[in-house]
Amino acid sequence: MTSMISVTLKGIFRDRVFQGILMTALIFLLIPTVSLLSMRQVTELSITLALSLNSLIFLLLSVFLGGTMLWKDIERRYSYGVLGLPMTRSSYLAGKFAGVALFFLLTAIVLGAATFVVVFFASSLYPPERPVQWEIIALCLFFDVMKYVLLVAIAFLFSTLSTSFFLPVFGTIAIFLAGGATQQVYDYIHSTAGDTLTPLVKQAASGLYYLLPNFSAFDLKVNAIYGLSTSFSGLLLTIGYFLLYTTFILSLAALIFSRREMR
Amino acid sequence: MSAISIENLTKTYRGKRGAKVDALKELTLEIEAGEVFGFLGPNGAGKSTAIKTLMGLISPTSGSATILGKDITTPDARRSVGFLPENPSFYDYLSAEEYLVFVGKTFAMSGPELKEKTASVLNRLDLWEARKRPMRSYSKGMVQRVGIAQVLVHDPDVYILDEPMSGLDPLGRTLVKEIIKELRERGKTVFFSTHITADVELICDRVGILVAGALQTVRPVQEILAAGVVGYQVKAKDIPQELFSYYNADSQAEWLSVPKADLGPVMARLQAAGSTVELVEPQRKDLEAFFLDIVAHSQA
Ligand SMILES: Nc1ncnc2c1ncn2[C@@H]1O[C@H](COP(=O)(O)OP(=O)(O)O)[C@@H](O)[C@H]1O
Ligand SMILES: [Mg+2]
Repeated sequence: MTSMISVTLKGIFRDRVFQGILMTALIFLLIPTVSLLSMRQVTELSITLALSLNSLIFLLLSVFLGGTMLWKDIERRYSYGVLGLPMTRSSYLAGKFAGVALFFLLTAIVLGAATFVVVFFASSLYPPERPVQWEIIALCLFFDVMKYVLLVAIAFLFSTLSTSFFLPVFGTIAIFLAGGATQQVYDYIHSTAGDTLTPLVKQAASGLYYLLPNFSAFDLKVNAIYGLSTSFSGLLLTIGYFLLYTTFILSLAALIFSRREMR
Repeated sequence: MSAISIENLTKTYRGKRGAKVDALKELTLEIEAGEVFGFLGPNGAGKSTAIKTLMGLISPTSGSATILGKDITTPDARRSVGFLPENPSFYDYLSAEEYLVFVGKTFAMSGPELKEKTASVLNRLDLWEARKRPMRSYSKGMVQRVGIAQVLVHDPDVYILDEPMSGLDPLGRTLVKEIIKELRERGKTVFFSTHITADVELICDRVGILVAGALQTVRPVQEILAAGVVGYQVKAKDIPQELFSYYNADSQAEWLSVPKADLGPVMARLQAAGSTVELVEPQRKDLEAFFLDIVAHSQA
Protein backbone atom coordinates (compact mmCIF):
# COMPACT_ATOMS: atom_id res chain seq x y z
CA MET A 1 0.00 0.00 0.00
CA THR A 2 2.87 2.41 0.68
CA SER A 3 4.03 2.00 -2.90
CA MET A 4 0.51 2.86 -4.07
CA ILE A 5 0.66 5.99 -1.92
CA SER A 6 3.95 7.10 -3.42
CA VAL A 7 2.77 6.42 -6.97
CA THR A 8 -0.36 8.47 -6.25
CA LEU A 9 1.69 11.34 -4.85
CA LYS A 10 3.99 11.33 -7.88
CA GLY A 11 0.92 11.37 -10.09
CA ILE A 12 -0.52 14.40 -8.33
CA PHE A 13 2.69 16.39 -8.41
CA ARG A 14 3.17 15.69 -12.11
CA ASP A 15 -0.46 16.39 -12.96
CA ARG A 16 -1.43 19.45 -14.94
CA VAL A 17 -4.62 19.95 -12.96
CA PHE A 18 -2.57 20.24 -9.82
CA GLN A 19 -0.16 22.67 -11.41
CA GLY A 20 -3.08 24.77 -12.61
CA ILE A 21 -4.66 24.83 -9.18
CA LEU A 22 -1.33 25.75 -7.68
CA MET A 23 -1.38 28.83 -9.85
CA THR A 24 -4.53 29.86 -8.00
CA ALA A 25 -2.38 30.09 -4.91
CA LEU A 26 -0.55 33.01 -6.48
CA ILE A 27 -3.64 35.07 -5.68
CA PHE A 28 -2.22 35.09 -2.14
CA LEU A 29 0.14 37.78 -3.32
CA LEU A 30 -2.83 40.04 -4.01
CA ILE A 31 -4.43 39.69 -0.57
CA PRO A 32 -2.40 42.33 1.28
CA THR A 33 -2.98 44.87 -1.48
CA VAL A 34 -6.72 44.26 -1.57
CA SER A 35 -6.94 44.36 2.22
CA LEU A 36 -5.03 47.60 2.40
CA LEU A 37 -7.51 49.18 0.05
CA SER A 38 -10.29 48.69 2.59
CA MET A 39 -8.41 50.83 5.16
CA ARG A 40 -10.50 49.31 7.97
CA GLN A 41 -10.04 46.01 9.74
CA VAL A 42 -7.17 45.22 7.42
CA THR A 43 -5.98 42.25 9.43
CA GLU A 44 -9.44 40.74 9.81
CA LEU A 45 -10.03 41.14 6.11
CA SER A 46 -6.75 39.56 5.13
CA ILE A 47 -7.41 36.60 7.44
CA THR A 48 -10.84 36.19 5.88
CA LEU A 49 -9.50 36.37 2.35
CA ALA A 50 -6.58 34.04 3.00
CA LEU A 51 -8.73 31.41 4.69
CA SER A 52 -11.35 31.63 1.94
CA LEU A 53 -8.70 31.22 -0.70
CA ASN A 54 -7.40 28.16 1.13
CA SER A 55 -10.88 26.70 1.15
CA LEU A 56 -11.37 27.43 -2.51
CA ILE A 57 -8.10 25.74 -3.45
CA PHE A 58 -8.94 22.68 -1.40
CA LEU A 59 -12.43 22.54 -2.87
CA LEU A 60 -10.96 22.56 -6.37
CA LEU A 61 -8.44 19.89 -5.40
CA SER A 62 -11.10 17.70 -3.78
CA VAL A 63 -13.42 17.88 -6.74
CA PHE A 64 -10.95 17.71 -9.59
CA LEU A 65 -8.23 15.52 -8.11
CA GLY A 66 -10.38 13.45 -5.75
CA GLY A 67 -13.24 13.14 -8.19
CA THR A 68 -11.15 12.05 -11.16
CA MET A 69 -8.56 9.90 -9.38
CA LEU A 70 -10.21 6.50 -9.89
CA TRP A 71 -11.93 7.45 -13.09
CA LYS A 72 -8.59 8.33 -14.69
CA ASP A 73 -7.06 4.99 -13.73
CA ILE A 74 -9.96 3.12 -15.23
CA GLU A 75 -10.43 5.35 -18.28
CA ARG A 76 -6.75 5.15 -19.18
CA ARG A 77 -6.72 1.42 -18.39
CA TYR A 78 -4.00 1.74 -15.77
CA SER A 79 -6.23 -0.28 -13.48
CA TYR A 80 -5.78 -3.55 -15.41
CA GLY A 81 -2.07 -3.62 -14.71
CA VAL A 82 -2.34 -2.44 -11.13
CA LEU A 83 -5.28 -4.61 -10.08
CA GLY A 84 -3.62 -7.61 -11.72
CA LEU A 85 -0.95 -7.30 -9.05
CA PRO A 86 -1.41 -9.18 -5.79
CA MET A 87 -3.04 -6.18 -4.16
CA THR A 88 -6.60 -6.16 -2.86
CA ARG A 89 -8.97 -3.63 -4.31
CA SER A 90 -9.35 -2.21 -0.81
CA SER A 91 -5.66 -1.53 -0.39
CA TYR A 92 -5.55 0.00 -3.85
CA LEU A 93 -8.37 2.33 -2.85
CA ALA A 94 -6.89 3.01 0.57
CA GLY A 95 -3.49 3.71 -1.00
CA LYS A 96 -4.95 6.21 -3.43
CA PHE A 97 -6.95 7.89 -0.68
CA ALA A 98 -4.00 8.06 1.68
CA GLY A 99 -1.94 9.55 -1.14
CA VAL A 100 -4.48 12.32 -1.65
CA ALA A 101 -4.89 12.91 2.09
CA LEU A 102 -1.14 13.13 2.56
CA PHE A 103 -0.91 15.50 -0.35
CA PHE A 104 -3.61 17.68 1.23
CA LEU A 105 -1.62 17.80 4.43
CA LEU A 106 1.51 18.90 2.55
CA THR A 107 -0.46 21.49 0.64
CA ALA A 108 -1.98 22.74 3.90
CA ILE A 109 1.48 23.28 5.33
CA VAL A 110 2.55 25.28 2.29
CA LEU A 111 -0.69 27.27 2.08
CA GLY A 112 -0.66 27.72 5.87
CA ALA A 113 2.78 29.25 5.65
CA ALA A 114 1.56 31.58 2.91
CA THR A 115 -1.43 32.51 5.04
CA PHE A 116 0.79 33.32 8.01
CA VAL A 117 3.10 35.46 5.92
CA VAL A 118 0.20 37.40 4.43
CA VAL A 119 -1.54 37.94 7.76
CA PHE A 120 1.70 38.85 9.47
CA PHE A 121 2.43 41.40 6.78
CA ALA A 122 -1.05 42.94 7.02
CA SER A 123 -1.08 43.03 10.82
CA SER A 124 2.31 44.66 11.03
CA LEU A 125 1.20 47.45 8.70
CA TYR A 126 -2.14 48.03 10.41
CA PRO A 127 -2.03 46.52 13.88
CA PRO A 128 -5.48 45.10 14.72
CA GLU A 129 -7.42 46.00 17.90
CA ARG A 130 -7.17 42.45 19.19
CA PRO A 131 -3.91 40.58 18.72
CA VAL A 132 -3.95 37.91 16.03
CA GLN A 133 -4.57 34.41 17.49
CA TRP A 134 -2.14 32.41 15.37
CA GLU A 135 -2.99 29.07 16.91
CA ILE A 136 -6.66 29.49 16.08
CA ILE A 137 -5.79 30.27 12.48
CA ALA A 138 -3.71 27.10 12.34
CA LEU A 139 -6.54 25.15 13.93
CA CYS A 140 -8.97 26.59 11.44
CA LEU A 141 -6.75 25.49 8.55
CA PHE A 142 -6.37 22.03 10.01
CA PHE A 143 -10.10 21.51 10.37
CA ASP A 144 -10.66 22.87 6.91
CA VAL A 145 -8.30 20.25 5.51
CA MET A 146 -10.15 17.56 7.43
CA LYS A 147 -13.38 18.71 5.87
CA TYR A 148 -11.95 18.44 2.38
CA VAL A 149 -10.33 15.08 3.06
CA LEU A 150 -13.79 13.90 4.04
CA LEU A 151 -15.08 15.37 0.79
CA VAL A 152 -12.44 13.37 -1.11
CA ALA A 153 -13.72 10.20 0.54
CA ILE A 154 -17.15 11.09 -0.77
CA ALA A 155 -15.70 11.74 -4.23
CA PHE A 156 -14.11 8.26 -4.07
CA LEU A 157 -17.44 6.74 -3.12
CA PHE A 158 -19.09 8.35 -6.12
CA SER A 159 -16.20 7.16 -8.31
CA THR A 160 -16.81 3.55 -7.33
CA LEU A 161 -20.47 3.89 -8.27
CA SER A 162 -19.97 5.39 -11.69
CA THR A 163 -17.92 4.75 -14.79
CA SER A 164 -17.66 8.41 -15.80
CA PHE A 165 -16.31 11.46 -14.04
CA PHE A 166 -19.70 13.15 -14.19
CA LEU A 167 -21.16 11.70 -11.00
CA PRO A 168 -17.95 12.00 -8.94
CA VAL A 169 -17.37 15.62 -9.91
CA PHE A 170 -20.91 16.95 -9.75
CA GLY A 171 -22.00 14.64 -6.95
CA THR A 172 -19.12 15.88 -4.85
CA ILE A 173 -20.01 19.49 -5.53
CA ALA A 174 -23.63 18.76 -4.60
CA ILE A 175 -22.63 17.07 -1.34
CA PHE A 176 -20.33 19.96 -0.57
CA LEU A 177 -23.17 22.44 -0.93
CA ALA A 178 -25.67 20.26 0.93
CA GLY A 179 -23.19 19.43 3.66
CA GLY A 180 -22.58 23.10 4.30
CA ALA A 181 -26.29 23.74 4.75
CA THR A 182 -27.41 20.77 6.85
CA GLN A 183 -26.80 22.49 10.16
CA GLN A 184 -28.82 25.53 9.11
CA VAL A 185 -31.68 23.40 7.83
CA TYR A 186 -31.61 21.35 11.02
CA ASP A 187 -31.65 24.43 13.17
CA TYR A 188 -34.48 25.89 11.11
CA ILE A 189 -36.80 22.91 11.37
CA HIS A 190 -36.21 22.73 15.09
CA SER A 191 -36.95 26.41 15.56
CA THR A 192 -40.42 27.89 16.02
CA ALA A 193 -40.48 28.81 12.33
CA GLY A 194 -40.11 25.12 11.55
CA ASP A 195 -43.40 24.33 13.28
CA THR A 196 -45.27 25.28 10.14
CA LEU A 197 -43.69 22.32 8.30
CA THR A 198 -45.47 18.99 7.99
CA PRO A 199 -44.02 16.16 10.12
CA LEU A 200 -43.05 14.26 6.97
CA VAL A 201 -40.86 17.08 5.70
CA LYS A 202 -39.37 17.41 9.16
CA GLN A 203 -38.52 13.72 9.33
CA ALA A 204 -37.04 13.71 5.85
CA ALA A 205 -34.92 16.72 6.70
CA SER A 206 -33.73 15.15 9.95
CA GLY A 207 -32.92 11.94 8.09
CA LEU A 208 -30.80 13.84 5.61
CA TYR A 209 -29.16 15.70 8.45
CA TYR A 210 -27.84 12.47 9.89
CA LEU A 211 -26.96 10.97 6.51
CA LEU A 212 -25.19 13.91 4.90
CA PRO A 213 -21.88 15.11 6.25
CA ASN A 214 -22.13 18.11 8.53
CA PHE A 215 -19.47 20.47 7.30
CA SER A 216 -20.34 23.46 9.47
CA ALA A 217 -18.78 21.68 12.43
CA PHE A 218 -15.41 22.00 10.69
CA ASP A 219 -15.78 25.71 10.10
CA LEU A 220 -13.67 27.77 12.52
CA LYS A 221 -13.33 30.80 10.28
CA VAL A 222 -15.23 33.16 12.60
CA ASN A 223 -13.07 32.05 15.53
CA ALA A 224 -9.93 32.59 13.53
CA ILE A 225 -10.90 35.99 12.19
CA TYR A 226 -11.99 37.50 15.50
CA GLY A 227 -9.65 35.50 17.67
CA LEU A 228 -12.53 33.79 19.52
CA SER A 229 -11.52 30.77 21.55
CA THR A 230 -12.82 27.33 20.65
CA SER A 231 -14.31 24.62 22.78
CA PHE A 232 -11.88 21.77 23.22
CA SER A 233 -14.53 19.10 23.61
CA GLY A 234 -16.29 20.41 20.51
CA LEU A 235 -13.10 20.00 18.50
CA LEU A 236 -12.57 16.49 19.81
CA LEU A 237 -16.11 15.63 18.86
CA THR A 238 -15.50 16.94 15.34
CA ILE A 239 -12.32 14.88 15.01
CA GLY A 240 -14.20 11.79 16.15
CA TYR A 241 -16.97 12.57 13.70
CA PHE A 242 -14.43 13.00 10.90
CA LEU A 243 -12.74 9.67 11.64
CA LEU A 244 -15.98 7.73 11.88
CA TYR A 245 -17.62 9.30 8.87
CA THR A 246 -14.53 8.93 6.65
CA THR A 247 -13.99 5.32 7.68
CA PHE A 248 -17.60 4.53 6.99
CA ILE A 249 -17.58 6.18 3.55
CA LEU A 250 -14.30 4.53 2.56
CA SER A 251 -15.42 1.11 3.74
CA LEU A 252 -18.55 1.48 1.68
CA ALA A 253 -16.46 2.58 -1.31
CA ALA A 254 -14.11 -0.40 -0.85
CA LEU A 255 -17.05 -2.77 -0.63
CA ILE A 256 -18.52 -1.47 -3.87
CA PHE A 257 -15.16 -1.28 -5.62
CA SER A 258 -14.31 -4.89 -4.72
CA ARG A 259 -17.33 -6.03 -6.68
CA ARG A 260 -16.73 -3.73 -9.56
CA GLU A 261 -16.15 -5.35 -12.96
CA MET A 262 -12.95 -4.15 -14.63
CA ARG A 263 -14.04 -4.81 -18.16
CA MET B 1 -0.81 -29.96 -9.37
CA SER B 2 -1.73 -28.00 -12.50
CA ALA B 3 -0.38 -24.49 -12.78
CA ILE B 4 -3.76 -23.22 -13.88
CA SER B 5 -6.95 -25.16 -13.49
CA ILE B 6 -10.14 -23.84 -15.05
CA GLU B 7 -13.51 -25.47 -14.52
CA ASN B 8 -16.69 -24.63 -16.41
CA LEU B 9 -15.79 -20.98 -16.48
CA THR B 10 -18.62 -18.98 -18.00
CA LYS B 11 -18.96 -15.26 -18.51
CA THR B 12 -21.99 -13.46 -19.76
CA TYR B 13 -21.70 -9.72 -20.18
CA ARG B 14 -24.87 -7.84 -19.51
CA GLY B 15 -24.99 -4.70 -21.54
CA LYS B 16 -27.41 -1.83 -21.47
CA ARG B 17 -31.06 -2.54 -22.24
CA GLY B 18 -30.68 -6.18 -21.27
CA ALA B 19 -28.33 -7.05 -24.12
CA LYS B 20 -26.38 -10.20 -23.30
CA VAL B 21 -23.10 -11.47 -24.69
CA ASP B 22 -22.02 -15.03 -23.91
CA ALA B 23 -18.33 -14.24 -24.10
CA LEU B 24 -17.13 -17.46 -22.49
CA LYS B 25 -18.99 -20.74 -22.37
CA GLU B 26 -18.12 -23.47 -19.87
CA LEU B 27 -14.37 -23.29 -20.37
CA THR B 28 -12.59 -26.24 -18.79
CA LEU B 29 -8.83 -26.37 -19.15
CA GLU B 30 -5.76 -27.58 -17.28
CA ILE B 31 -2.42 -25.92 -17.83
CA GLU B 32 0.43 -28.09 -16.59
CA ALA B 33 3.32 -26.62 -14.67
CA GLY B 34 6.25 -25.97 -16.99
CA GLU B 35 4.38 -25.86 -20.25
CA VAL B 36 3.93 -23.07 -22.75
CA PHE B 37 0.30 -22.97 -23.72
CA GLY B 38 -1.04 -20.99 -26.67
CA PHE B 39 -4.59 -19.77 -26.33
CA LEU B 40 -5.54 -19.25 -29.93
CA GLY B 41 -8.70 -17.69 -31.26
CA PRO B 42 -10.00 -15.10 -33.67
CA ASN B 43 -10.82 -11.58 -32.48
CA GLY B 44 -13.77 -11.55 -30.11
CA ALA B 45 -13.42 -15.25 -29.27
CA GLY B 46 -13.33 -14.56 -25.54
CA LYS B 47 -9.61 -14.90 -24.86
CA SER B 48 -9.32 -11.62 -22.98
CA THR B 49 -12.50 -12.37 -21.09
CA ALA B 50 -11.01 -15.67 -19.90
CA ILE B 51 -7.76 -13.98 -18.91
CA LYS B 52 -9.44 -11.08 -17.10
CA THR B 53 -11.51 -13.57 -15.18
CA LEU B 54 -8.40 -15.51 -14.18
CA MET B 55 -6.83 -12.28 -12.94
CA GLY B 56 -9.85 -11.37 -10.86
CA LEU B 57 -10.58 -8.27 -12.91
CA ILE B 58 -14.04 -9.53 -13.72
CA SER B 59 -16.02 -12.15 -11.88
CA PRO B 60 -17.24 -15.29 -13.64
CA THR B 61 -20.96 -15.75 -14.16
CA SER B 62 -20.38 -19.37 -13.14
CA GLY B 63 -17.53 -21.81 -12.80
CA SER B 64 -14.24 -21.52 -10.98
CA ALA B 65 -10.50 -21.56 -11.45
CA THR B 66 -7.31 -21.85 -9.46
CA ILE B 67 -3.75 -20.73 -10.08
CA LEU B 68 -1.17 -22.94 -8.36
CA GLY B 69 -4.03 -24.27 -6.29
CA LYS B 70 -5.25 -20.87 -5.10
CA ASP B 71 -8.72 -19.70 -5.90
CA ILE B 72 -8.77 -16.79 -8.35
CA THR B 73 -11.16 -14.81 -6.16
CA THR B 74 -8.35 -14.17 -3.67
CA PRO B 75 -5.48 -11.75 -4.36
CA ASP B 76 -3.24 -14.56 -3.14
CA ALA B 77 -3.78 -16.35 -6.45
CA ARG B 78 -1.86 -13.52 -8.15
CA ARG B 79 1.17 -13.84 -5.82
CA SER B 80 3.13 -15.96 -8.28
CA VAL B 81 1.67 -14.61 -11.48
CA GLY B 82 3.08 -12.17 -13.99
CA PHE B 83 0.21 -10.62 -15.88
CA LEU B 84 0.36 -8.67 -19.12
CA PRO B 85 -2.94 -7.02 -20.04
CA GLU B 86 -4.04 -6.66 -23.65
CA ASN B 87 -2.74 -3.37 -25.14
CA PRO B 88 -1.36 -2.39 -21.77
CA SER B 89 -1.19 1.12 -20.46
CA PHE B 90 0.76 2.13 -17.38
CA TYR B 91 0.89 5.30 -15.28
CA ASP B 92 2.24 7.52 -18.01
CA TYR B 93 3.73 10.08 -15.66
CA LEU B 94 6.09 7.42 -14.32
CA SER B 95 9.21 6.26 -16.09
CA ALA B 96 9.67 2.61 -16.99
CA GLU B 97 12.15 2.29 -14.16
CA GLU B 98 9.76 3.80 -11.60
CA TYR B 99 6.97 1.51 -12.72
CA LEU B 100 9.12 -1.60 -12.43
CA VAL B 101 10.13 -0.58 -8.94
CA PHE B 102 6.48 -0.06 -8.04
CA VAL B 103 5.60 -3.53 -9.34
CA GLY B 104 8.58 -5.12 -7.60
CA LYS B 105 7.56 -3.54 -4.31
CA THR B 106 4.03 -4.87 -4.48
CA PHE B 107 5.63 -8.29 -4.85
CA ALA B 108 7.65 -7.53 -1.71
CA MET B 109 11.02 -7.66 -3.44
CA SER B 110 13.99 -6.40 -1.47
CA GLY B 111 15.82 -3.24 -2.52
CA PRO B 112 19.11 -4.62 -3.88
CA GLU B 113 17.42 -7.57 -5.61
CA LEU B 114 14.86 -5.25 -7.18
CA LYS B 115 17.50 -2.83 -8.36
CA GLU B 116 19.52 -5.54 -10.03
CA LYS B 117 16.51 -7.21 -11.61
CA THR B 118 15.12 -3.89 -12.87
CA ALA B 119 18.39 -3.08 -14.59
CA SER B 120 18.70 -6.47 -16.24
CA VAL B 121 15.09 -6.52 -17.44
CA LEU B 122 15.32 -2.97 -18.81
CA ASN B 123 18.40 -3.97 -20.74
CA ARG B 124 16.86 -7.16 -21.99
CA LEU B 125 13.88 -5.28 -23.43
CA ASP B 126 15.98 -2.54 -24.87
CA LEU B 127 14.50 0.11 -22.61
CA TRP B 128 17.69 1.09 -20.84
CA GLU B 129 18.17 4.38 -22.69
CA ALA B 130 14.57 5.42 -22.10
CA ARG B 131 14.32 4.18 -18.51
CA LYS B 132 14.23 7.63 -16.90
CA ARG B 133 11.79 9.25 -19.31
CA PRO B 134 8.07 9.37 -18.46
CA MET B 135 6.20 6.64 -20.32
CA ARG B 136 4.01 9.36 -21.83
CA SER B 137 6.80 9.81 -24.38
CA TYR B 138 7.03 6.10 -25.29
CA SER B 139 5.87 4.55 -28.54
CA LYS B 140 3.26 1.80 -28.48
CA GLY B 141 5.91 -0.87 -28.95
CA MET B 142 7.93 0.52 -26.05
CA VAL B 143 4.91 0.43 -23.75
CA GLN B 144 4.32 -3.18 -24.79
CA ARG B 145 7.93 -3.94 -23.87
CA VAL B 146 7.43 -2.27 -20.49
CA GLY B 147 4.49 -4.65 -20.16
CA ILE B 148 6.79 -7.61 -20.71
CA ALA B 149 9.39 -6.11 -18.39
CA GLN B 150 6.95 -5.65 -15.49
CA VAL B 151 6.04 -9.31 -15.83
CA LEU B 152 9.62 -10.50 -15.76
CA VAL B 153 10.88 -8.22 -13.02
CA HIS B 154 9.47 -10.23 -10.13
CA ASP B 155 10.35 -13.61 -11.67
CA PRO B 156 6.99 -15.34 -11.12
CA ASP B 157 6.32 -19.03 -11.78
CA VAL B 158 3.24 -18.46 -13.90
CA TYR B 159 2.92 -16.02 -16.78
CA ILE B 160 -0.46 -14.96 -18.09
CA LEU B 161 0.01 -12.84 -21.17
CA ASP B 162 -2.77 -11.34 -23.27
CA GLU B 163 -1.44 -10.94 -26.82
CA PRO B 164 2.19 -10.43 -25.76
CA MET B 165 3.42 -9.92 -29.33
CA SER B 166 0.86 -7.34 -30.39
CA GLY B 167 2.10 -3.86 -31.23
CA LEU B 168 5.70 -5.04 -31.63
CA ASP B 169 7.91 -4.85 -34.69
CA PRO B 170 9.46 -8.08 -36.04
CA LEU B 171 12.51 -7.58 -33.84
CA GLY B 172 10.35 -7.20 -30.77
CA ARG B 173 8.24 -10.23 -31.65
CA THR B 174 11.34 -12.35 -32.01
CA LEU B 175 12.63 -11.07 -28.69
CA VAL B 176 9.42 -11.96 -26.91
CA LYS B 177 9.42 -15.43 -28.45
CA GLU B 178 13.00 -15.91 -27.29
CA ILE B 179 12.03 -14.81 -23.80
CA ILE B 180 9.14 -17.26 -23.70
CA LYS B 181 11.44 -20.07 -24.84
CA GLU B 182 13.87 -19.19 -22.08
CA LEU B 183 11.07 -19.21 -19.54
CA ARG B 184 10.17 -22.72 -20.62
CA GLU B 185 13.76 -23.82 -20.25
CA ARG B 186 13.67 -22.49 -16.71
CA GLY B 187 10.58 -24.55 -15.97
CA LYS B 188 8.11 -21.66 -15.88
CA THR B 189 4.51 -21.90 -17.00
CA VAL B 190 3.35 -19.59 -19.75
CA PHE B 191 -0.26 -19.14 -20.80
CA PHE B 192 -0.65 -16.63 -23.58
CA SER B 193 -3.35 -15.61 -25.99
CA THR B 194 -2.91 -14.77 -29.63
CA HIS B 195 -4.76 -14.76 -32.91
CA ILE B 196 -1.61 -15.47 -34.91
CA THR B 197 -0.88 -19.13 -35.55
CA ALA B 198 2.78 -18.60 -36.36
CA ASP B 199 3.36 -17.41 -32.78
CA VAL B 200 1.99 -20.69 -31.49
CA GLU B 201 3.79 -22.96 -33.94
CA LEU B 202 7.26 -21.94 -32.88
CA ILE B 203 7.06 -21.74 -29.12
CA CYS B 204 4.09 -23.63 -27.70
CA ASP B 205 3.88 -27.10 -26.26
CA ARG B 206 0.14 -27.18 -26.53
CA VAL B 207 -2.51 -25.07 -28.15
CA GLY B 208 -6.16 -24.55 -27.27
CA ILE B 209 -8.43 -23.08 -29.88
CA LEU B 210 -11.29 -20.89 -28.74
CA VAL B 211 -14.04 -19.81 -31.09
CA ALA B 212 -17.07 -17.77 -30.05
CA GLY B 213 -16.46 -18.43 -26.37
CA ALA B 214 -16.23 -22.20 -26.72
CA LEU B 215 -13.07 -24.26 -26.54
CA GLN B 216 -12.89 -26.33 -29.73
CA THR B 217 -9.80 -28.40 -29.18
CA VAL B 218 -6.67 -28.72 -27.06
CA ARG B 219 -3.70 -30.53 -28.62
CA PRO B 220 0.08 -30.72 -28.52
CA VAL B 221 1.45 -28.52 -31.28
CA GLN B 222 3.83 -31.23 -32.49
CA GLU B 223 0.92 -33.61 -32.94
CA ILE B 224 -0.97 -31.13 -35.10
CA LEU B 225 2.11 -30.47 -37.17
CA ALA B 226 2.79 -34.20 -37.60
CA ALA B 227 -0.81 -34.94 -38.47
CA GLY B 228 -0.69 -32.07 -40.91
CA VAL B 229 1.96 -33.73 -43.08
CA VAL B 230 0.35 -34.45 -46.44
CA GLY B 231 3.38 -35.68 -48.37
CA TYR B 232 7.11 -35.40 -48.99
CA GLN B 233 9.43 -33.86 -51.51
CA VAL B 234 12.26 -36.29 -52.16
CA LYS B 235 15.49 -35.27 -53.83
CA ALA B 236 17.53 -38.14 -55.27
CA LYS B 237 20.13 -38.89 -57.94
CA ASP B 238 19.69 -41.64 -60.57
CA ILE B 239 15.96 -42.03 -60.12
CA PRO B 240 14.71 -45.30 -61.70
CA GLN B 241 12.17 -44.96 -64.48
CA GLU B 242 9.41 -46.76 -62.57
CA LEU B 243 9.25 -43.77 -60.22
CA PHE B 244 8.95 -41.13 -62.92
CA SER B 245 5.22 -40.98 -62.27
CA TYR B 246 6.06 -39.12 -59.05
CA TYR B 247 7.44 -36.20 -61.00
CA ASN B 248 4.85 -33.54 -60.97
CA ALA B 249 4.26 -30.84 -63.50
CA ASP B 250 6.31 -28.13 -61.89
CA SER B 251 8.92 -30.19 -60.13
CA GLN B 252 12.52 -29.88 -61.14
CA ALA B 253 14.77 -32.76 -62.17
CA GLU B 254 15.76 -34.98 -59.21
CA TRP B 255 12.72 -33.95 -57.11
CA LEU B 256 9.80 -36.31 -56.52
CA SER B 257 6.46 -35.45 -54.94
CA VAL B 258 5.49 -38.41 -52.81
CA PRO B 259 2.13 -38.70 -51.03
CA LYS B 260 2.34 -39.54 -47.35
CA ALA B 261 1.31 -43.19 -47.75
CA ASP B 262 3.78 -43.89 -50.54
CA LEU B 263 6.91 -42.74 -48.79
CA GLY B 264 7.96 -46.22 -47.53
CA PRO B 265 7.66 -48.04 -50.91
CA VAL B 266 9.27 -45.15 -52.81
CA MET B 267 12.25 -45.07 -50.47
CA ALA B 268 12.62 -48.85 -50.74
CA ARG B 269 12.61 -48.72 -54.53
CA LEU B 270 15.10 -45.87 -54.61
CA GLN B 271 17.39 -47.90 -52.43
CA ALA B 272 16.92 -51.02 -54.53
CA ALA B 273 17.80 -49.05 -57.65
CA GLY B 274 20.93 -47.78 -55.98
CA SER B 275 19.88 -44.09 -56.12
CA THR B 276 21.31 -41.68 -53.59
CA VAL B 277 18.63 -39.91 -51.59
CA GLU B 278 19.83 -36.39 -50.81
CA LEU B 279 16.88 -34.77 -49.09
CA VAL B 280 13.41 -35.59 -47.78
CA GLU B 281 11.23 -32.62 -46.97
CA PRO B 282 7.81 -32.98 -45.38
CA GLN B 283 5.05 -30.97 -46.96
CA ARG B 284 2.57 -29.96 -44.34
CA LYS B 285 -0.72 -28.32 -43.99
CA ASP B 286 0.38 -25.87 -41.31
CA LEU B 287 -1.24 -24.81 -38.08
CA GLU B 288 -2.82 -21.91 -39.89
CA ALA B 289 -4.78 -24.28 -42.11
CA PHE B 290 -5.70 -26.40 -39.10
CA PHE B 291 -6.88 -23.30 -37.26
CA LEU B 292 -8.93 -22.04 -40.20
CA ASP B 293 -10.51 -25.49 -40.59
CA ILE B 294 -11.57 -25.48 -36.95
CA VAL B 295 -12.95 -21.98 -37.14
CA ALA B 296 -14.87 -22.85 -40.31
CA HIS B 297 -16.24 -26.05 -38.76
CA SER B 298 -17.36 -24.40 -35.57
CA GLN B 299 -19.24 -21.79 -37.51
CA ALA B 300 -20.92 -24.32 -39.76
N1 LIG C 1 -17.21 -5.11 -21.48
C1 LIG C 1 -17.89 -5.82 -22.38
N2 LIG C 1 -19.23 -5.71 -22.47
C2 LIG C 1 -19.92 -6.42 -23.36
N3 LIG C 1 -19.38 -7.29 -24.21
C3 LIG C 1 -18.04 -7.45 -24.18
C4 LIG C 1 -17.23 -6.73 -23.26
N4 LIG C 1 -15.95 -7.09 -23.45
C5 LIG C 1 -15.94 -7.99 -24.44
N5 LIG C 1 -17.21 -8.22 -24.88
C6 LIG C 1 -17.61 -9.17 -25.93
O1 LIG C 1 -17.23 -10.44 -25.53
C7 LIG C 1 -16.70 -11.18 -26.61
C8 LIG C 1 -15.29 -11.64 -26.28
O2 LIG C 1 -14.43 -10.53 -26.21
P1 LIG C 1 -12.89 -10.69 -25.82
O3 LIG C 1 -12.80 -11.54 -24.62
O4 LIG C 1 -12.32 -9.33 -25.73
O5 LIG C 1 -12.32 -11.46 -27.08
P2 LIG C 1 -10.82 -11.67 -27.57
O6 LIG C 1 -9.90 -11.24 -26.49
O7 LIG C 1 -10.72 -13.11 -27.85
O8 LIG C 1 -10.65 -10.85 -28.80
C9 LIG C 1 -16.78 -10.26 -27.82
O9 LIG C 1 -17.96 -10.59 -28.53
C10 LIG C 1 -16.89 -8.91 -27.23
O10 LIG C 1 -17.62 -8.06 -28.06
MG1 LIG D 1 -8.46 -9.88 -26.57
